[in-house]
Amino acid sequence: MYVCFHHPDEAVISPQDPVLYIGSSLTATCTLSPELGLHASTLYWTLNGISVSSSAYSVLSPDTLSITLQNLNGSQQQSGDNLVCHGADGHVLAGSCLYVGRPPEKPVNLTCWSHNTKDLSCKWSPGGLGETHIQTKYTLKYKLRWYGREKECEVYNTGKQRYSCYIPRNLALFTPYEIWVEAANQLGSATSDITTLDILDVVTTDPPANVQVSRVGDLEDQLTVRWASPPELKDILFQAKYQIRYRLEDSTEWKVVDDVGNQTSCRLAGLQPGTVYFVQVRCNPVGIYGSRKPGIWSDWSHPAAASTPSSERLQSGSCDPKPGEQNSTLRRELKQFFGWVRKHASGCSGMSIKLYDQWRVWLQKSHKTRNQILQDDNS
Amino acid sequence: KNTVFYQLFIPHCSIHLSLYFLFTNDAEGRLHQSQVAVFLLTYLGPPFNEKDFSPPRPNSTALSLPSAATRLELWHGLENQARLAQNQKAYSVLLAAVRELARSTLCPALKTSLLHFCTGLDGLLGSISALMTTLGYALPPPSANMEMRPTMNDFAKKVEGFWILRELQSWLWRSAKDFNRLKKRLRG
Repeated sequence: MYVCFHHPDEAVISPQDPVLYIGSSLTATCTLSPELGLHASTLYWTLNGISVSSSAYSVLSPDTLSITLQNLNGSQQQSGDNLVCHGADGHVLAGSCLYVGRPPEKPVNLTCWSHNTKDLSCKWSPGGLGETHIQTKYTLKYKLRWYGREKECEVYNTGKQRYSCYIPRNLALFTPYEIWVEAANQLGSATSDITTLDILDVVTTDPPANVQVSRVGDLEDQLTVRWASPPELKDILFQAKYQIRYRLEDSTEWKVVDDVGNQTSCRLAGLQPGTVYFVQVRCNPVGIYGSRKPGIWSDWSHPAAASTPSSERLQSGSCDPKPGEQNSTLRRELKQFFGWVRKHASGCSGMSIKLYDQWRVWLQKSHKTRNQILQDDNS
Repeated sequence: KNTVFYQLFIPHCSIHLSLYFLFTNDAEGRLHQSQVAVFLLTYLGPPFNEKDFSPPRPNSTALSLPSAATRLELWHGLENQARLAQNQKAYSVLLAAVRELARSTLCPALKTSLLHFCTGLDGLLGSISALMTTLGYALPPPSANMEMRPTMNDFAKKVEGFWILRELQSWLWRSAKDFNRLKKRLRG
């Protein structure tokens, strides 16, 4: 047999767990149990650990002390503000959690995108001042425009991305959806405007695959970029557009090549000789299945790098570099050397000074022979 | 990492007992509350996360566990079975309590942290039960789930949560010593 012993509370605060509007006032009371033998005038209040001035108190009776809090600020923590009634020695007699906030405003900026036409991700912003200070539930709802039941999105993000939701499957194409967000808390509710969209108009793909950058023969100011359309949708991306961006290795400024169209290769010109460039490509599935809207650009592909041929050439007959040149060209040469090693010597384990000498010799050969070796290696 | 992983190999049985401390050691070996503890106390808000804050201990079912605090001579003389039984009972109650804490928390990140912590506690409880069985000690019957929880206001729930954390810290600290003692007694 289990007997439940219930100790009478030493004191009781009223109201318990109230929900209040920011800026409102609250009068609360702390009523003592008679067996305590304390007088209400010996008590004091704290709010979130901070004592409240006794000018806000009022002794209503020998066993009841009230407090009036005015112009309340939004709750300091999600679990509620802690209003505590203490005995003179600091002893906690009772507490009540205050939830001070505001009703939600209409959520805004609802944007959605579909990854490869398979799913739908949406995000929005809370309206107005944003922070409601009390627990607020956001529900993303959607339905097919001319028919269909209302459905709720179930997969919400947390933390900084909590104003977003993910619909993983069962989405129809070729028919518009109506999508909206409902916000609700204990002080009120609000609904966003309805967004109407067709999945095919908001498609984003994976970045282009196999991005490769290579030299154009011996041309010092050009590089060729090649890529493949994103694998998932390659069969339907007839009209996809691509965009390339590139920058110098040490620079943070990107140059963008916009008019690439739907080719899968492009030649970059007007580059600096003997320089390493980083290149990225991205894809826009515009016109997919006849969509007339601009699609959404994919992420940029992983950067690919290559260097343009150097304009300084070691054409001298001897194997030794000219004394003055050595320091200024050494770093650039080393960079090109490592690139060559990766291509021609399996892994770094083959690295040695002998290899370096072999490379220096190889540099002396005519560019025709060099291209020949490159082609042989690629086969 | 914020949890110190304490492993104890008891030679009579091939069972590893792992203890997850709610403390970390700093460079000088002093104990500090770990991230989960700080997280929970911050969530509860001041004065719960203030140093030396101590509300009265509630007398609820969530806190009906043996006290970690015992007099030294009593603790020293505990028979193996009693020692293990006290640990087993304590962690059974604490596991249920922390699970309920996780369920009722409004902060998703804290909920995840607490549930993750429960996984560790569950493992610990399993190890203790397995050890008791191997040593031939009967396991106490699982206590009936008391559904009759008196309704508590939110502040009272916070005080209960505060004390669950405190009991957890006391027990983890004590268990380390219990299992060291057990190891010595089983060897000798």
